[in-house]
Amino acid sequence: MKALIFGEKADHVLDCLGFLAALKGASGEEFESVAVVAVAKDEVSPEALRGVSRVYALGRVSSHDAYATILPMYEEVKPDLVVGAATKNTTEVFSRLSAKLDVPMLTEVTEISVSDGEVLLKRNVLGGRALAAYPFTTPLILTVPQKKFKPPEEGPTPEVVEREAAKEAKVSVVEVKPKERGAVDIEAAEIVVGVGRGFRSKEDLDMAFELAKLLGGEVGCSRPIAADYGWLPEDRWIGISGKKIRGKLYIAIGISGAPQHIMAANDSRIIVAVNKDKSAPIFQYADYGVVADLYQFVPVLIKRLRERGT
Amino acid sequence: MNIAVLVKASIDLNMLRIDSSGRLLLDETPLAISEYDRNAVEEAVRIKEAKGGKVVALSVLTWGPAARKAGEAENVLREALAMGADEAHLVVDESIIPGSVDTTAEVLKAMVEKLGPFDLVLCGESSQDVLSSQMAARLGEKLGYTVVTFARKLEVLDGKIRATRDLEDALEVVEAELPAVVSVTGEINEPRLPTLLQIRRSFAKPLKRYTLADLGLEGLKAKLPAREISLVTVSRKNIILEAESLEEVADQLIAKLMEEGVIR
Repeated sequence: MKALIFGEKADHVLDCLGFLAALKGASGEEFESVAVVAVAKDEVSPEALRGVSRVYALGRVSSHDAYATILPMYEEVKPDLVVGAATKNTTEVFSRLSAKLDVPMLTEVTEISVSDGEVLLKRNVLGGRALAAYPFTTPLILTVPQKKFKPPEEGPTPEVVEREAAKEAKVSVVEVKPKERGAVDIEAAEIVVGVGRGFRSKEDLDMAFELAKLLGGEVGCSRPIAADYGWLPEDRWIGISGKKIRGKLYIAIGISGAPQHIMAANDSRIIVAVNKDKSAPIFQYADYGVVADLYQFVPVLIKRLRERGT
Repeated sequence: MNIAVLVKASIDLNMLRIDSSGRLLLDETPLAISEYDRNAVEEAVRIKEAKGGKVVALSVLTWGPAARKAGEAENVLREALAMGADEAHLVVDESIIPGSVDTTAEVLKAMVEKLGPFDLVLCGESSQDVLSSQMAARLGEKLGYTVVTFARKLEVLDGKIRATRDLEDALEVVEAELPAVVSVTGEINEPRLPTLLQIRRSFAKPLKRYTLADLGLEGLKAKLPAREISLVTVSRKNIILEAESLEEVADQLIAKLMEEGVIR
């Protein structure tokens, strides 16, 4: 079968290759893939993209120009599968492609399973509380989460070719403002301390930073802390529209556990919840729960950790 | 400025019904307005207040059984009317339940064409239940309208819009031709809470129901319906640590985390 991969970054192609490898494991289907990346040719390292036969490098493009470029490529490649990482722009581009071509689309497929000889693709619904299963059929357009499926380490290195992006005139990009970047990447952190509305002021977050530092982790937060109060930058916001964490430990402090937050944290191996409300939903998703006022418990925890010399 | 706003009657995530064997009872779970659609309604009403025109709320029932859920979907639309929408239109048809993004987009396209023309179609960035984030782009493509997604700021200029799109690592300011379909994020505004009087008045506003036949869409079928929707089995330990003092609780927690091998 043939796959057409679109990546805004070269790394996204790896997510797709990882998915295709997992799909091959489940279905036995071998995929020959061609990738289109919104990266300049000299920034693509062919050695890093083993398993793709050809990479078309467009350079940075808007979502509209990406769509205008990929639509004719679909006709050219005639793929059975179109795969991309579940970013906002790719979701937009693929949704348009799906509507235009009348090919079904699944957003963010997180699991592949086989049931009675049938390959099922699963995705999170109901705020992460449930999985919807769809039979794997082709043609199909889909997106996959970032860093979820392991890319194959072997395979031929692709040929990288420059390709001029097509233009769509109805929308023009006036300005691109890079988001303020803290030095943190909580998605890559093994230990994350999450802070929520249980904290009463920005200064009080110092406790969480101290705890994170003792544990060698980073501080993340729930939506209100970043979006409503602006106490922390958005690159620390754990949520479906924010960052997704999947480290070994997540300690949620003063977080009640909105479905969007839980869905983005639920891949962590161990979850600890500290909340004074024992009926807070977060406890259902926690391995260990402490029902206590964070203002009393967190200083004690920090003190005990320090005494151990951790 | 005539604006259509898409309002989804979504599964109420706070009211999920589950039976004793852990099966999801979606038929028995009530519907509520999808979180970000409230932001879409608010934005539509604000634009109307500034520029004039009307706001038309559109909804397609995607959860069944239709007989019971149609009333709940009407309540969701009443909420949009109470917030300031002028009229509401609901499509109820058992043959497209449970819904699918492709059939819903097809029905919404027919609604927009029947009730339009509109300058702007607004919706939330994603529904809270299905989380596909596809609708704005699908519908825009089908209608031939300009597509702008994930807007956290929206300004109506002369014959066009300027939107700030909230992407993963940048804010992208775009100018787009009208008519356009725009999806908005939760940051775009603070949705108003209607007053009692506004709620009462919403009952005097028009709310109409349609079937697929009314739209000439008989036989419409989902291309890839979900085989099943099942609860994620949470394999968490759910151990609440308790002791005489917080010091002891902290020690227990540290011991557990060491046992798990997550701290040293």
